[in-house]
Amino acid sequence: MTKSKSPKKKGGMARIFELAAERKGLLTLSGILSATAAIASFVPYIAIYLMIREIILVYPSFELLNRSAMTQYGLLALAGIAADVLCYLASSVCAHIVAFGTQYELKSNFTSHLARIPLGYHLKFGSGRLRKVIDEDIDKIESFLAHSFPDIVASFTAPVIMLVLMFVFDWRFGLAALLAVIVAFAMQMLTFGAAGLDLMTSMQKSMADMTGASVEYVRGMPVLKAFGRTASSFHQLRNAINTYTQFMLTYTLKWENYTAAFQTVANNAYLFILPVGILIGRSSQDYLTFAMTFIFYLLFAPSMASVLNKLMYVASSSMRISGGVANFDNMMSLQELSADSGGELPETNDVVFDSVSFSYDENGAAALTKVSFTAKAGEVTAIVGPSGSGKSTIAHLIPRFWDVSDGAVYLGGVNIRALSEEELMKRVSFVFQDVYLFGQSIKENIRMGSPDATDEDVIKASKAAQCDDFVMRLPKGYETVVGEDGVHLSGGERQRIAIARAIIQNAPVLVLDEATSFADPENERLIQQALSELIRNKTVIMIAHRLGTVLNANKIIVMENGMVSEYGTHDILMHRNGLYYKMWKNYTEAIHWRLGGGEEITVNG
Amino acid sequence: MGKFKNILMLDEKGEKGLRRAIIACTITSLSLMIPFFLTIQAFIEILKPLEGGEISWSKMWLIFSMGFGAFVVIFLFSKREYKSTYVNAYGQSEATRLQIADYMRKLPMSFFNAKDLSELSSNIMSDCSNIEQMLSSAIPQLAANIISSALVCLLLMFFDWRMALAVFISLPVAALIFWLSRKLQSKMFAGHVQAKLSAIKQSQEYLDGIKVIRSCGLGGSKFKKLDDAFLDLKRISLQVELVSGVAMSVSSIVLRAGVGIVAFVGVNLLSGGVIGFIPLLMFLLIATRVYAPILTVLTLLPDMLYLQISTQRLRTLMGSAPMEGSREKPVENYEIELRKVSFAYNDRNVLTNVSMIAREGQVTALVGPSGSGKSTIARLAARFWDAQCGEILVGGINIKEVDPEHLMKHISFVFQEVTLFNDTIAENIRLGKPAASDEEVKKAARLACCDEFIEKLPDAYQTVLGENGTTISGGERQRISIARALLKDAPIILLDEATSSLDPENEVLVQKALGRLIKGRTVLVIAHRLRTVSDADKIVVLSGGEIIEQGTHHHLLDSCSLYKRLWDLQQESGAWSVSP
Repeated sequence: MTKSKSPKKKGGMARIFELAAERKGLLTLSGILSATAAIASFVPYIAIYLMIREIILVYPSFELLNRSAMTQYGLLALAGIAADVLCYLASSVCAHIVAFGTQYELKSNFTSHLARIPLGYHLKFGSGRLRKVIDEDIDKIESFLAHSFPDIVASFTAPVIMLVLMFVFDWRFGLAALLAVIVAFAMQMLTFGAAGLDLMTSMQKSMADMTGASVEYVRGMPVLKAFGRTASSFHQLRNAINTYTQFMLTYTLKWENYTAAFQTVANNAYLFILPVGILIGRSSQDYLTFAMTFIFYLLFAPSMASVLNKLMYVASSSMRISGGVANFDNMMSLQELSADSGGELPETNDVVFDSVSFSYDENGAAALTKVSFTAKAGEVTAIVGPSGSGKSTIAHLIPRFWDVSDGAVYLGGVNIRALSEEELMKRVSFVFQDVYLFGQSIKENIRMGSPDATDEDVIKASKAAQCDDFVMRLPKGYETVVGEDGVHLSGGERQRIAIARAIIQNAPVLVLDEATSFADPENERLIQQALSELIRNKTVIMIAHRLGTVLNANKIIVMENGMVSEYGTHDILMHRNGLYYKMWKNYTEAIHWRLGGGEEITVNG
Repeated sequence: MGKFKNILMLDEKGEKGLRRAIIACTITSLSLMIPFFLTIQAFIEILKPLEGGEISWSKMWLIFSMGFGAFVVIFLFSKREYKSTYVNAYGQSEATRLQIADYMRKLPMSFFNAKDLSELSSNIMSDCSNIEQMLSSAIPQLAANIISSALVCLLLMFFDWRMALAVFISLPVAALIFWLSRKLQSKMFAGHVQAKLSAIKQSQEYLDGIKVIRSCGLGGSKFKKLDDAFLDLKRISLQVELVSGVAMSVSSIVLRAGVGIVAFVGVNLLSGGVIGFIPLLMFLLIATRVYAPILTVLTLLPDMLYLQISTQRLRTLMGSAPMEGSREKPVENYEIELRKVSFAYNDRNVLTNVSMIAREGQVTALVGPSGSGKSTIARLAARFWDAQCGEILVGGINIKEVDPEHLMKHISFVFQEVTLFNDTIAENIRLGKPAASDEEVKKAARLACCDEFIEKLPDAYQTVLGENGTTISGGERQRISIARALLKDAPIILLDEATSSLDPENEVLVQKALGRLIKGRTVLVIAHRLRTVSDADKIVVLSGGEIIEQGTHHHLLDSCSLYKRLWDLQQESGAWSVSP
């Protein structure tokens, strides 16, 4: 869905550099320092070459050695190492500053983005997948910038410098060394060829399957225990784990030959030097120079191994990163809800649905079809209907968790799509049935409705919402952190905190999704008192799950299959003898039901 | 090795495998000495003309061919090393994953309430992946490097102790610096892990509370807690990475300075006539390659630190006591009795000295304000948890002596939170009785009033529900769970009345299904609506974890003031309606 939208988007490393563009200077500096470090790492070898030259020239009369020159070479070697490490360190500092800065920025941008995309995407992807972007994908980008980038620069500079040196000293040996590098490189390319993108994708899938199975295993544990089925469900998980392991083994063992070959070539580079030395040595005029060069190259050959090893390590680690950027970009390219603010502000607090149609999926069934109604300021408009009839969808369209597919929602005559988020939220407050409390103090949880509210405001709202009594009984009163110190609030108490939030927000329009859960009688009573306080003088749109509560509403809208089936007051609707009448009859039957009646039955046998 | 085994959660086979992997790794790194010796031989040959001798080209070719032979051998060793480490690592992490999963199913339910789901799943998956990675690369390499470095060291001593000293003099200094920084690091690692966890927790909260956040206009960095957590993580990560970076760099500067020291000392010894040129070359050759593996050792150690933290979590899980009991105890009748039962959950008293009997074939209801301990009683009776004091008897047998799975054969638990699996409807119902025929499943579905809505689904009974069955409504879910219980046909029903109100039609259907389920069985019901249970044979009124009174509805209205008050309140709130 998102692929087609951004065909020209860069991928992989190029895209990461784009994301870190703001810190380009520092990143470049890091690269330069890293390359310098790589160059410096060859200085000790040059020093050793110079030493060997001195020695060979006097060989075997060592007492003739120029000692001060030798000391200088020794110091040169040490200086090279120092420069290497210092530059590497500096490069690493720069890279980390870039990386963590970028990481923070991306996380921040991403979470802001999440607050602006239709809520439907949250449901579609689930918090797990969205969190994966925050916790893993962005971290992969960070890790690339902090570690892989300087390493890549260094490990690509090193072979180049190495080859340059090799050619400077003697091109024939240089050619031999180049051949070794090419063979090693070929092995590496073959490794990644064997891995292939398909295999990578299916590996990720089998990993995801295993994770899915384990989540289901843990989530279903109470039920599985209740039905004595833990063993069999364990079999399912076991299959997923076995499959994953088998897959990983086949996958890694595909690399076996190439990886081993690479290791072997890298550690036996001298085998490329040796025959060249033998061939040119036979016809060499100046044996002293030849011997010196030959010895140097043989001495040098093993260190090619570490240069090449690093290259391999870098290549494999940057492969792991590539998926991260793609995931991040996919999520970032989800269309945000637009705010084409015309600057117009609502004059009244009436809410009007004008022929609104909506479906959750682009091709899916319509959740609402041509729904029109007006909720007048100062009145209670109740929405009732069987489950799945579209009641809650109506509630979710008003805060623009989703945008309508067709038609429009007006607030005081202004299309809500033309209102900025801020303006809309100033005018509308919500009480949802699934109350979410944050792991913060009660005070902060209530204040969320109006971040600027004083402590007095919070307590006032809390009192009005009938929270004060139970809050004061908590160990630290309003400072009590929900979920800590073993403090758990009951459903009814949570409801009242949500009401306090809405009271402090004090918006003229209130959208109320009635709790479907029954609290215990005492709580139930308190919630009702809190609600009566909250709805005073507001435009109230109430999604009602219990018919009894909307008996006195100014207008009851009866939904069926996403359409308005009928509307009116309770009395009018009862006279119509339609869906509402039927529901009411069921309702009265249900509330008088008692456990214990029913016919004798058997299922088995 | 023993401690290692513990940290990595190795079993016998894994331990053997690890040992094999280490041996394979060591052999490979030792085999790399062959190129070294052949190179020395080549040096000796090359230098011969300088001493007035003659270089033998055929000997040079011989060295080359031997080198080629060694090439093949090294290739084979590397291949074996690769294979044995990965096979072992994946095999072991598979075993660990299975072991954890198997263990988890024997843990008391309290465990699943205390830990949140994501943490548990992450325990199985990511911790095992960490171990997997350690086993596949880090540890065998680490061990092999230590072993081969030590051997090389011994060998060098044998040649010339002064030069050997020059090679290794830097090692203790580097190690000391590293060791000192380790202390600092491990302190910071804890803070780092904390910052990471807090960022994870905050982003989870942000995602879970996104509706509230949006409706309060607090998106993105306006949500202070999340922003703070991210900033904190940024700051601490930078510190940790830099401290470990500095320590590593300084250690490596000191260590690699060894090449310079060797050259320096060697040249002095050479000009003093103490050693020859060949030994000097040999030591230089060694110096160019000996530090890389030692540096690897130093680099891998921080990973080991993390590993210890992550396997700690696994070991805590594996240290929780499982529930056991006999499978032999026959349950003769189905009376449930609690005798002076007290139960505390996380040091909080939930039940105090509760004694009650739920008679066979009768409906016993538990009522009381939320938090009064109603649900706990039902969960204790199913042995989801074990009570700390007192005893619970089913059919006269203390359930602590009965294997939980065996006990569950006699009990159907109808939860208010219905869990459905990513499987067909038929299989979801069949959970109640794995051997049930399709006919039996359909009959149960019919009795639970599921039949009608199931037939309307695209593939009827074969419709796959998706993750946790989000595609069907609350009332339908409840009826499926009742169908499960009907199919199981257990003599005891523990019923946690749903607190959710359904639309009236669904409500009526659920009620009908429930009525059929409980008929003729021993029923213990956790009631949230007093009216539902006013016909029960016995109502037990709880408050603050204690039994206040028990009896029939009429008895309680007269004798129990709490019950009377709750009843009145409920009558009153049932008649409430919003008014403008």
